[in-house]
Amino acid sequence: MDQEINFNQVTHTYQVNTPFAQDALDNVSVTIAPGSFTAIIGHTGSGKSTLVQHINALLKPTTGEIAVYGRTINPNTTNKNLKQLRKHVGMVFQFPEKQLFEETVIKDIMFGPKNYGVSEQDARRDAEDAMKLVGLDENLSEKSPFDLSGGQMRRVAIAGVLAMKPQILILDEPTAGLDPRGHKEIMDLAQELHDQQHMTIILVTHQMDDVVDYASDVIVMDQGKIVKHGNPQEIFSNPQWVYSMHLDLPSSAEFATRLVDEGVPLRHTPLTIEKLADEIAQLVQGGQEHE
Amino acid sequence: MKDIIQIKNISFNYPDQPLLFDKLSMDVHEGEWTAIIGQNGSGKSTLARLIDGLIVLKSGQIVVDGLTVNDENIFEIRNKIGMVFQNPEDQFVGATVEDDVAFGLENRQVPREEMHRIVEKSLRQVGMWEFRDRIPANLSGGQKQRVAIAGIVALSPKIIILDEATSMLDPRGRQEILSLVNEIKKQNKLTVISITHDIDEAAGADWVIVVNNGAIVEEDKPDNIFGDIEKLESIGLSAPFTSQLMTALKARGIDSHSQYLNDERLITWIKKLISTK
Amino acid sequence: MSNFLFGRYLPGKSWVHQMSPQSKLMLSFYFVIVIFFANNVWTYASLSVLILIVVVMSGVSIGYFLKGIRPLIWLIIFTVLLQILFSSGGHVYWHFGPFSVSDTSLINGGYIFVRFLLIIMISTVLTLTTTPLAIADGVQTVLKPLKKVHFPVDTLALMLSIALRFVPTLMDEMETILNAQRSRGVDFGSGSLKHRIQAAVPLLVPLFTGAINHAENLSTAMEARGFTDSEHRSKYRVYRWQRKDTISWVAFLLVGVLVLFIRNN
Repeated sequence: MDQEINFNQVTHTYQVNTPFAQDALDNVSVTIAPGSFTAIIGHTGSGKSTLVQHINALLKPTTGEIAVYGRTINPNTTNKNLKQLRKHVGMVFQFPEKQLFEETVIKDIMFGPKNYGVSEQDARRDAEDAMKLVGLDENLSEKSPFDLSGGQMRRVAIAGVLAMKPQILILDEPTAGLDPRGHKEIMDLAQELHDQQHMTIILVTHQMDDVVDYASDVIVMDQGKIVKHGNPQEIFSNPQWVYSMHLDLPSSAEFATRLVDEGVPLRHTPLTIEKLADEIAQLVQGGQEHE
Repeated sequence: MKDIIQIKNISFNYPDQPLLFDKLSMDVHEGEWTAIIGQNGSGKSTLARLIDGLIVLKSGQIVVDGLTVNDENIFEIRNKIGMVFQNPEDQFVGATVEDDVAFGLENRQVPREEMHRIVEKSLRQVGMWEFRDRIPANLSGGQKQRVAIAGIVALSPKIIILDEATSMLDPRGRQEILSLVNEIKKQNKLTVISITHDIDEAAGADWVIVVNNGAIVEEDKPDNIFGDIEKLESIGLSAPFTSQLMTALKARGIDSHSQYLNDERLITWIKKLISTK
Repeated sequence: MSNFLFGRYLPGKSWVHQMSPQSKLMLSFYFVIVIFFANNVWTYASLSVLILIVVVMSGVSIGYFLKGIRPLIWLIIFTVLLQILFSSGGHVYWHFGPFSVSDTSLINGGYIFVRFLLIIMISTVLTLTTTPLAIADGVQTVLKPLKKVHFPVDTLALMLSIALRFVPTLMDEMETILNAQRSRGVDFGSGSLKHRIQAAVPLLVPLFTGAINHAENLSTAMEARGFTDSEHRSKYRVYRWQRKDTISWVAFLLVGVLVLFIRNN
């Protein structure tokens, strides 16, 4: 299983030896399975972004090591020879449209593949494929990325990462600031990449409904530690615990707890609207049959 | 009810672009929370800027609290309107929290002693007085928006416009800012215009105006807007949670026979269903 | 997260923190001028003692100053080497073509090094103990006489304050863009000069675009908050001259006089 991502007792301290020094990661050990759709949640400042930036060695551990894609990253890892690793681990930062710089959309998307030594011709082909994946019309390819709408710019940025054909895709709050339609399109794209291209998806998010709708695995972080790792059902089964992590419940679970508080005897904590509707229907109709 | 803002037949376009608004009209009732919703690019933020006189109309008229928006009245109008913008970073002018709250007061040449009194009062009202020495780099997005709101409260305006003010915050920060504005609205008897694509936020408004491609698609009470999920989705929006749940229940043969219920009413209805089964 | 300290004010209540910004600004300028009068061991020693006292009274740990030097280290090394290799006179230890190393050149190199250190330290004390706004206000006070000749002093001060306030923001943005482009396979800081210049484009274009966006949004926000021009505004902060200022001025002036006395003429 050399394709899994494995954190072994990783600690990362920012600004060592200054009054600002803080442990952003505190003795983290975790394995992210290949082909999983893993959501990383935790309140602001809990260490989510720091964690994912270790996966492609943008940050190196202060102690401990990370094994990813057959490479080991430890405190002594230098910035040399990281290209292969970074090609395999695609990283979409928050507001990725901020990284656009080329004159045309197609050139910007080709930038990544060309850095990895792909020929002009192949890079263009990969870029065109990536544009199709993210749903960008091909007649946009010769336009300046700065003339596009915010939502389109974000797709260009994501296409720029996908054109490198990564096996692992890290998305750091990819839908921040998008309207509901844009939000759904980006999340559906992540799902498609996971289901059809068999990418490992790592999603850093504050949107609990997305966690439930898309993720198979959830990692909960608090103060630089991983406090829980499991499937959404396990993570959200205890509302009090979720609140104590300064996190929200998915909308359905939240609504269900309010119903329970009002004396409606729901048996489970439903995570989706469909499950919640089932539970309510059972109480309303199931009851009638029995009496 | 008095219309504190009247928008009459306005037309506007950005340079070298087609008309965004073509003879658009709408009113905002005093003392209410009005949500203007629409997908990105629908023109809703432009509307906010026109009301505040930050960009200039091509034709038509906007009246704010009895004053026509024009060069002459512009400063008086800006005294009546406080705006919170989308990006918390880009409206923080001062070097520290208290300097930023003072910025608007300095612009109006308020005497120093009075400024110190007002800054303290405003910062206490938004719960940021303990942070008065902080520099913006050491604040979260939600905290910066609180400071922006304090800067507005300090000028005691009649209207607050939230221009996607919560869209860059996490859900918790969003909730906190909305309840803060709600509280301040009540205490200071303000009119709130919230420009947003967050449907659950709009569902809590008194009045909802739906904008698409520069035109008003619909305006009504939330109850009458949020029943039609398909319509909302067709213009790039989503339906509030309760509408989605009601649709799912209807598919299971449980029909409320009403268009839209907010959280409380939906809970009451479900309780009633179960107790009278 | 940036290690670069410029514009990162450290809150505190020390003696130096409490001095008025116009004093600190003027004293820093004055100190830099005095440095150029120093030309022997005793003058440099007395200035070093003065700056050490200032550092202690600022309550800022010495580690910060070392960090402040780091970004400039190559400039310092280059200048010092230039001084060592090209200055003439004295006992020559080694020479090759136009280069030579002598006891004089070594001493001069040492002086240049200390000079750099002193300038970095005084400016670091200034920026770590004074908020950007206070520095801007200090500039405003210092330049006030220029108002008589219609120099836009207030505008300049406001621009300066906003520019300083955005330094950390732009630093963080730079960090993110660097990381984003690294993830797309850019190797910053390696390869030939041509390669390095090419690698800067994907960093500079987004940084510049971002800065323009900030500026546009900020000017809209300022206008919405009633800003018209910088001349007709009241001031929230005033910095009164305090005894601490007087004492500091006296100390600095005395050291200045001392330097003039003990320098080699």
